Amino acid sequence: MKENVASTIVFILLLFLNINLLNGQSPPGKPEIIKCRSPEKETFTCWWKPGAQGGLPTNYTLTYHKEGETVTHECPDYKTGGPNSCYFNKKHTSIWTIYIITVNATNQMGSSSSDPRYVDVTYIVEPDPPVNLTLELKQPEDRKPYLWMKWLPPTLVDVRSGWLTLQYEIRLKPEKSAEWEIHFAGQQTQFKILSLYPGQKYLVQVRCKPDHGFWSEWSPESSIQIANDFTMKDTTVWIFVAVLSAVFCLIMVWAVALKGYSMVSCILPPVPGPKIKGFDTHLLEKGKSEELLSALGCQDFPPTSDCEDLLVEFLEVDDSEDQQLMPAHSKEHLDQGLKPTHLDPDSDSGRGSCDSPSLLSEKCEEPQAKPSTFHTPEGIEKAKNPETNVTRTWDPTSLEGKIPYFHVDGSKSSTWPLPQPPSQHNPRSSYHNIADVGKLAMGTAGASATLLDKTDKHVLKSSKTIETGGEGKAAEQREVESFPSKTDQDTAWLLPQEKTPFISAKPLDYVEIHKVNKDGALSFLLKQKENSDQTEKPSAPEHTWSETWISILKIASMTH
Amino acid sequence: MDNKGSSLKGSLLLLLLLASNLLLCKSVASLPICPSGAVNCQVSLRDLFDRAVILSHYIHNLSSEMFNEFDKRYAQGRGFITKAINSCHTSSLSTPEDKEQAQQIHHEDLLNLVLRVLRSWNDPLYHLVAEVRGMQEAPEAILSKAIEIEEQNRRLLEGMEKIVGQVHPGIKENEVYSVWSGLPSLQMADEDSRLFAFYNLLHCLRRDSHKIDNYLKLLKCRMVYDSNC
Repeated sequence: MKENVASTIVFILLLFLNINLLNGQSPPGKPEIIKCRSPEKETFTCWWKPGAQGGLPTNYTLTYHKEGETVTHECPDYKTGGPNSCYFNKKHTSIWTIYIITVNATNQMGSSSSDPRYVDVTYIVEPDPPVNLTLELKQPEDRKPYLWMKWLPPTLVDVRSGWLTLQYEIRLKPEKSAEWEIHFAGQQTQFKILSLYPGQKYLVQVRCKPDHGFWSEWSPESSIQIANDFTMKDTTVWIFVAVLSAVFCLIMVWAVALKGYSMVSCILPPVPGPKIKGFDTHLLEKGKSEELLSALGCQDFPPTSDCEDLLVEFLEVDDSEDQQLMPAHSKEHLDQGLKPTHLDPDSDSGRGSCDSPSLLSEKCEEPQAKPSTFHTPEGIEKAKNPETNVTRTWDPTSLEGKIPYFHVDGSKSSTWPLPQPPSQHNPRSSYHNIADVGKLAMGTAGASATLLDKTDKHVLKSSKTIETGGEGKAAEQREVESFPSKTDQDTAWLLPQEKTPFISAKPLDYVEIHKVNKDGALSFLLKQKENSDQTEKPSAPEHTWSETWISILKIASMTH
Repeated sequence: MDNKGSSLKGSLLLLLLLASNLLLCKSVASLPICPSGAVNCQVSLRDLFDRAVILSHYIHNLSSEMFNEFDKRYAQGRGFITKAINSCHTSSLSTPEDKEQAQQIHHEDLLNLVLRVLRSWNDPLYHLVAEVRGMQEAPEAILSKAIEIEEQNRRLLEGMEKIVGQVHPGIKENEVYSVWSGLPSLQMADEDSRLFAFYNLLHCLRRDSHKIDNYLKLLKCRMVYDSNC
């Protein structure tokens, strides 16, 4: 029974409690004192934070007692500091004294107290921000402008008696900048800023700190617009300079446009191209060697009688025999010539490239053009110089397909260009020249290949077809036919002298070597040297082609 | 012979000058303007007060830092503050407790009060340094500050005596000060008690240095700047 009663009571109590809890009612939670501050070291305020409400209206009280006293006081002012605060006025404030403060929360259900807080006003001083911040832009005449800012200490703080000593700090920034520029101002209530950007709007703030306390909040922003005026002078100068430069540039452009080319040529004179006196590249391009050569001062090439210097080499042949070599008119020779294909450099054989007449055509077909470094101008020049190496005499241009002596034209009837008496004689050494000539021919052939125009090629081709001697004439004829008007030019090949070379058993005979055709076929003209008397016997030419060759070969063998 | 004698005299003079210069230099450090013992040296009151205020401000800063360091290092969670109520040996000196009281007191009395407080701290500071040095793991920061405070306190006392000599010449006050009897507490075996003794001493030092600083600033503004700082 007793147990039942006890349990019942407990049950009821619990029920009661539960009902209360269900309703949300409970004693108040423990409040907490957050902060106590004094703005001037003469008064102070404390704020607290309520605990859990407990669902019932709660009454808060603040009680305190001071160091050295036993009496407990209650907060004199709950209002001035706002809700949940207690304001201690001057009368109730003692410095260098510890306050022990407690907040009590009470509601219907019960009460609770906060932990006591020990407060010494000496160390909780945090003033208000300074006031009356004024900004002024000063522009002394001979100095840079600066920003002059002034402010006043917060109203409550007593600085004049020395009760509090304040130190200040200012900060400023251009309106759009993100970072503040902070300056410590000490105990003065003014400050000068010298480094300013013109045309900007500046924001300025100031705050203060007591000698042994906390920094205040920043004052509200003051702004000032920095004018551009004092840079006007610089700007004007720059604009002036810019305009002048623009005008100058325009004038220059106009002048260049007008004068244009002449100015350019004045500044950059054209570079003259390489030029040979009397040599016109245009003619060369056109392929008119005749004109070209005439421009050089040489009437025709091979050299005619006029150009005594322009000589082909003379092959001196030591001819003991009484040979009558074929005069020039055997045109057949010309084509085939001696193909100097396998000329030995040291061969004095005079065989040239071909040893036997029968082989002549075959062998002589082989060599063909071995390109050498022959240029037109060079050849011509060398040709002018009879003393030069044989190899040089031939002008590749002359080779231009026109087998020179196919000049049908009667003016120079002798197909064999008469050799000019060479200025020098090279007895016995003659065949050496042939070899060189062969080379020359080959080289020339190659070189001339580039120079030849189509017709020339055609000619050569046809010349090649000349195989055997028998065909010679026919080929020659063909060749002759294939030569159009160019033959005139080809007279260049012809030696100036038109004397039919007639070698009559003389000790030294000259072989006049011409480059006949592209193939490098040499055509010789055996000539009698010194035959200046010129026992010209035009009648000689009745020799056959083969005879001529035989005689040549004989000569060649003899010299060996 | 004459030349020798004169040269000897000259060198002696030089030596004397040199020595006196050295001595003066040394003394200059402590009293740059008036050599000790000089009676007719007149430094302006303004300069005296400026220096005094600088010293007092400096001493309080040191004391505050020293207390904070000690509190952080040794006194956390021990609830020393609850016990350090009304336990300063200088509380017997009736000092003004707020601005009004301070402004009502006569400047001479205030000056004397400052002197008394300063004198009251000579002994405790001396022992504080000795005891901190003897502590286990003597904290260097606290020790160095204690040494500095002791020295500066002595200098401030000298300066204040000069000021009083100028403001109140001729009157020699009895040297009244509060006697400190906390030495045994600093030497207690119980660590907790000993630490509390230190805590209490540092707490009182912080407070009194603040008082001195405040009073001197008030006096300076009143006497030198005519209450228009």
